Amino acid sequence: MSKTYVVPTEISELNKVQDKLNLIKDIKRSFSVFRIDCGSCNGCEIEIFASITPTWDPERFGFKLVASPRHADILLCTGPVTRHMYYPLLRAYEAAPDPKIVVGYGACGSTGGIFHDCYSTWGGVDKVIPVDVWIPGCPPHPASTIYGLATAIGILDQKLKKVEHKDGSDKAPKIEDSIFGNTLFEREVMEKAREMMGYLHGRELYKAYLKVLKSVEDIYNPVKTKQVLQDAIKQEEDPRFRECMMTLHNEVYLKHLKRFKNIDKLHPSICFTKKEVELAYD
Amino acid sequence: MKLLDITQKYGCATYEYPFAPYKVADGFRGKPEYNYDKCIGCTACAVACPSNAINVELNKTKDKLVWRFDCGRCIYCGRCDEVCPTNAIMLGKDFETAVKFNKEDLIETGELELQYCVECGKAFTTKRLIAYCLENFKKVGWSESVIKEKTKYITTCPECKKAKSVELVSKYYSKGVKK
Repeated sequence: MSKTYVVPTEISELNKVQDKLNLIKDIKRSFSVFRIDCGSCNGCEIEIFASITPTWDPERFGFKLVASPRHADILLCTGPVTRHMYYPLLRAYEAAPDPKIVVGYGACGSTGGIFHDCYSTWGGVDKVIPVDVWIPGCPPHPASTIYGLATAIGILDQKLKKVEHKDGSDKAPKIEDSIFGNTLFEREVMEKAREMMGYLHGRELYKAYLKVLKSVEDIYNPVKTKQVLQDAIKQEEDPRFRECMMTLHNEVYLKHLKRFKNIDKLHPSICFTKKEVELAYD
Repeated sequence: MKLLDITQKYGCATYEYPFAPYKVADGFRGKPEYNYDKCIGCTACAVACPSNAINVELNKTKDKLVWRFDCGRCIYCGRCDEVCPTNAIMLGKDFETAVKFNKEDLIETGELELQYCVECGKAFTTKRLIAYCLENFKKVGWSESVIKEKTKYITTCPECKKAKSVELVSKYYSKGVKK
């Protein structure tokens, strides 16, 4: 995108930071918010309208959506500024009375988000017009919308600060000792758990399963391990975890135990039978 | 009056959010939290990130690897969380991410020490990644002597490894021809 907009001097002179702070301080009425859609996917719009419902009620702080930029104090710009919405955005910006507060809303509005290097977008509102407040999120939660607008007018303080981590040690992060003395077992448990339940619940399943195995006295005794696991499964409330724990025992634990011992993998005293797995959902 | 009765029955529906903390739902995808001490600089998150919010590159003087996260570009998909081998980056519960006047506040960086190749002296990965690999070998049950042997192999850059193996193979074949 080659064309760049230069803010006219009569607008930029009235839009210095101090002018904006004075506006926030001296305003004796509600803040009028005008929403500009600069090629957004409609996700941000849905969240904006979710946040003006009675559940969140931004009119407590005096935020009011208005229909014309000529009434606006705050411009809420969503979307990565596509080629077609470039001039409408500029028209709305110039039409709004000075001083105006411009908010880049959503990941696209603040930096371009997933479209940051797309051929037909400018990649963020701040590439075109000066922006004062950025509300990241894809889309932002109504609570973050409220927080962002409240930060814009100075009710709340900004929490995020630039963080720079430096001069850490070269040591590797700690790896926990394996139950079998070989972390390949843990790796396989993690793999299987993720395959069955996804990364989020898989991690929880992995933690819960290993916690049970650690409480077993003799890990090489499959009969006792099964009993301990059965007790733990009875206390588990989520039936999905119950079933997946049984599958982990059958498919990973017994497979690894075969390296150390000659066992019959299908013996009912060692493994969970089909009937037991089905009962997990009762 | 009937309307007042109904409102009394259901109470106030509005969240008290800015005046009272808001509790997000279970499994909420908030701002990714970065644990610098756990990060090994494997760049898996940078490869997985669909919007390039996470970038890993050399710094200006080219002596450190810089992990850089731009919160403004993040779309909270959780792929970095999914691929991280050490759980150094995990999605948190933080949703209060708005900043004003200064966009730099959205950025988080972490510098990591570089590992140089023993053959050609070029930087190719981080020291922490090598240490993590060696630690993993220990936990898998490899003996000290084997690890010592592999340490040289693991601290050689991929290009040198390639050149070395080509050398070995060509040596082997030239011997075969002479016989």
